[in-house]
Amino acid sequence: MGYSSKSPWLIHYDGSSCNGCDIEVLDSMMPLYDIERFGIINTGNPKHADIFLVTGSVNHQNINVVKEIYDQMLEPKVVVACGICACTGGVFRDCYNVIGGVDKAIPVDVYAPGCAVRPETIIDAVLKAVDILDEKAKKMKAEKGRG
Amino acid sequence: MGLIAFLVAAPLVTAVLLMLFRSDSARRVITSAAAVVIGVASVVFAVTYMAGGLTYFGLPQEITYAVSWVMTAVDIVLCAVILWFAVRYKNRIALVLGLIQTIGVVVFANMTLSEGAEHMLEQPLYLDQLSVIMVLIVGLVGSAICVYALGYMRDFQHHEPADAPDRRHFFSALMFLFLAAMFVIVLSDNLEWMFTGWEITTTCSFLMIGYTRTPEAIKNSFRQINLNMIGGIAFLAALLIIHLSGIPMSLAALIALGETIAAPLLIFPVILLSVAGLTKAAQMPFHTWLLGAMVAPTPTSALLHSSTMVKAGVFLLVKLAPLYAVFPAASAMVVTIGGITFVLCSFMAISQSNAKRVLAYSTIANLGLIAACAGVGTAEATWAAIFLIIFHTVSKSILFLCVGTVEHRIGSRNIEDMDGLFSRLPHLTRFMMLGILGMFVAPFGMLISKWATLVSFAETGNVLFLILLAFGSAATFFFWAKWIGKLSGVSQKAENVEKGVHRSEWVAIGFIALCLLGCCLGLPAISLGVVSPYLVGVFNSNPQFIGVDNMLIMVVIVAFIAIVLLTPFGRAHKRRVGVYLAGATVQSDDRTYLGSMERKMTSTKRNWYLEDVFGENVLSNVGTVVCLGVLVIAFGASIVLNPGFLAGGTFMVDREVLLVGPDLWGLLLGIVIFAICAPVIGCLLDGLDRKISAHMQGRVGPRILQPYYDMRKLLSKEQVSVNQVDEAYVTCALIFAIIAGGMFISGSNLLMTIFLVTLATLFVIIAAYSARSPYADTGADRECLQVMSYEPMLLIMSVGFFVATQSFDTASLLRLDAPIIWTNIPIFLGLLFILTIKLRKSPFDLSYSHHAHQEIVKGITTEMSGRTLAKVDIMHWCETVLFLLWVGMFFVWSDPVSIVIALAVMAVTWFLEVWIDNNFARVKWQTCLKSAWLVALVMGVVNLFLVLITPFI
Repeated sequence: MGYSSKSPWLIHYDGSSCNGCDIEVLDSMMPLYDIERFGIINTGNPKHADIFLVTGSVNHQNINVVKEIYDQMLEPKVVVACGICACTGGVFRDCYNVIGGVDKAIPVDVYAPGCAVRPETIIDAVLKAVDILDEKAKKMKAEKGRG
Repeated sequence: MGLIAFLVAAPLVTAVLLMLFRSDSARRVITSAAAVVIGVASVVFAVTYMAGGLTYFGLPQEITYAVSWVMTAVDIVLCAVILWFAVRYKNRIALVLGLIQTIGVVVFANMTLSEGAEHMLEQPLYLDQLSVIMVLIVGLVGSAICVYALGYMRDFQHHEPADAPDRRHFFSALMFLFLAAMFVIVLSDNLEWMFTGWEITTTCSFLMIGYTRTPEAIKNSFRQINLNMIGGIAFLAALLIIHLSGIPMSLAALIALGETIAAPLLIFPVILLSVAGLTKAAQMPFHTWLLGAMVAPTPTSALLHSSTMVKAGVFLLVKLAPLYAVFPAASAMVVTIGGITFVLCSFMAISQSNAKRVLAYSTIANLGLIAACAGVGTAEATWAAIFLIIFHTVSKSILFLCVGTVEHRIGSRNIEDMDGLFSRLPHLTRFMMLGILGMFVAPFGMLISKWATLVSFAETGNVLFLILLAFGSAATFFFWAKWIGKLSGVSQKAENVEKGVHRSEWVAIGFIALCLLGCCLGLPAISLGVVSPYLVGVFNSNPQFIGVDNMLIMVVIVAFIAIVLLTPFGRAHKRRVGVYLAGATVQSDDRTYLGSMERKMTSTKRNWYLEDVFGENVLSNVGTVVCLGVLVIAFGASIVLNPGFLAGGTFMVDREVLLVGPDLWGLLLGIVIFAICAPVIGCLLDGLDRKISAHMQGRVGPRILQPYYDMRKLLSKEQVSVNQVDEAYVTCALIFAIIAGGMFISGSNLLMTIFLVTLATLFVIIAAYSARSPYADTGADRECLQVMSYEPMLLIMSVGFFVATQSFDTASLLRLDAPIIWTNIPIFLGLLFILTIKLRKSPFDLSYSHHAHQEIVKGITTEMSGRTLAKVDIMHWCETVLFLLWVGMFFVWSDPVSIVIALAVMAVTWFLEVWIDNNFARVKWQTCLKSAWLVALVMGVVNLFLVLITPFI
């Protein structure tokens, strides 16, 4: 197991969500769920983060912001779409301003559906993401070794 | 003898030539040649006489008599010049003072010259190591400034209105006249001649400040002449009293007389000469002339305030130093005024955004320090004063010259406009940063001198001044750090505007920068070879309070910093990325981003000037009133009190500093051990901290080794950076922190440990500023403020350590019969208070916090990522261990059991800090600064008075 999976720091971005999922994300940091058990820290700074946690759908105003945060994160990095809106646009998918799920803007590694997404699902998704993170780190290392 | 005549004559001849040949090309040739000749002559002079030490030069008395006539004539001409200007510009005060001075000169000349040649001194000229140092300063730095003026004045004339008359020849001639006067001052044993040199510098600077003849310049030049004439008249009064008391007109005779029973005769002359020195050195209440002098062209400022005019003032005070040990009233006056000036001017420098005014205040503050050192009158204090003179000269002249050139390049002398100068004027800015570092951080000479100051005041038990020094130094850190932060910002697409800088400017700046590095690198040699012999000659003692091994380590660090700063060494070639602007960047270099409703916004950031705390209006008045009061009290005391008391020596307990630290190998061993152990222990402590915090919040928390996993992960991340330099700075910081810890555990100097930790913090601050990110800048600003908040307590702690152990070396703890906590309980409590700031724990985690609920974007570390961030973390681990060791040090004595007690106390303290961290919310910066300073002040005063005053009771 690599070190990336032991220390996944995440950044949380709220797209056009109804805030239900955001509350659940914060909830997972509370003593009951305590995601710091897994070494997870909510950093708020893309340059420090490994996991990009997006809630809510992508719209015309925030698509560039989502893209930029993603670009500013350093490899290896993974994206977790939290909640059905982030996965597909959810009930808002037909709104005039909504483009759709996060995967319309950036590549998504893990989809965590739910309305609102439950803390257990978030933790599951993050732990799933952590495995992908390790794989990416391994790949990066191999490339570095070759290059 | 011939050399002295040459040194004085060469600048005079140059001045005359410059007045005769006024074309640009002729001036260039004459100035450059003269500068080289004077520089070489002063070096030859130094080489010839350095080894010889104190030497007197005899002259036939007829010649001395004739020269005295000439000097008197010069005095009268100077008075006439002043009177003429006073009448022409209708300045009443100048007229009255000028008349008093004229009458004084005539009366005095009438008395001395009428006695004829046989009463003249047989040996009117002399030199010793101090004069040689001054000759080198004037000859090398002074002439470099004259060369600089060539290019500068061309730009200056260019910026003037088209019809302005070209009087540059006059300006250059004045500068050389100034140098000649300085040589007279530093080489005359004859006080009468010295007075003439003194008056020439006063009048020359009057003319130079008023050079542009704008109303403002004229107003400020009159302020200068009026204040300095007060000093001149005091000097003259001293000469009259000396002559009437039948004492020979010789500086050496005065000092010799101080040791005899005739000393009471000197009570008034010494006070009057001190007043003269204080006015020339721009001490409060006379400091305003130096601020006003900033309207003059920059070479004037550089010449007056770094190498010549003000240095003449402190030179006189340092010369009088042995007398201050005899006359308590004069000593107390000079020390108090110097100390108050130092602290208040350092405070006021914080509130200034005009670069030249910051330099002016810093100059006054440092001169205050020199004056205070001279006023103590011990060999150690004089050592400090001499080194302060040397390093202040070189650092400050670089800064003045750079600011002058920058002003012509970017059209402003406001520090706010110097944002990103690192890219726009790459070479000039690096020199400027070198000058700034030279002014206030550890391995550079200025701080070593401040260190010596602290030691000498601790030795003599001067509590008041120790406290002033502690707070003044903290303020000094703040205003320099925020300026260097502005300079160091790297912008990615800035246009290089360095092309137009004249070659003469480069030559002068480069030469003085070399002098600065040379002095820093050669500090041990200068100390052993030049200053120690001088002190042996004057005080019969050779102070040894900084181990040579420590000095060698300093030298290595200076060399290292110079390499990092001035060469491309350590530049990482990583992918460049923009700064973080909350995800809606338009242009990262301009810090523009999209705000709400898609508006384009620009993030701007000004430095902190804290005007409501350190504003000029209040502090300046307070200083003037208090210092004026001190002057009046000193004079009053001299009239009222009994002469036996006034000439009976100052009260002090002289404590020798014991040097018990390890040798160089011991130091290296300590550094290696610390480099291996501290990160491991610090990492475990950090993990434990997170675990305990989690339990306090009812959570399980991460694994104990979590910080280690975090660090490994950061090392394996992709390496990118916002600029090429930040990782180099952070690496420096890590190395300095490790050296600091290593020195501490090897038993070496505690003060040096404190200074090196501060240096490490400064480098992290510079790294953060270099990103030009709004978040990192805010974090760095707050870090500066935190350093300013805790620094006084640390310096007070080191003094408390010294009075308990007689040494600054931590090895001395093992020789004690009782732990130092017995005498230092208040200081220990103060340390516990600031420990929260140093460990970045809530409520004082202003610059950076690991709590998500307090820090959204990660403050000072915002733009650091991957390996750079890992290094910052490792540095924090090392620092945590070191700070806990500081706590433990209070409980160690010769008994081995004490180690266990110390470890227990460290554990309890650490747990207490974690508990505080989890139970308090972050406070505002005002609360942080005020509470930390209040604690330091109260604890420091209570504790130090207790331990330092006890011997007298």
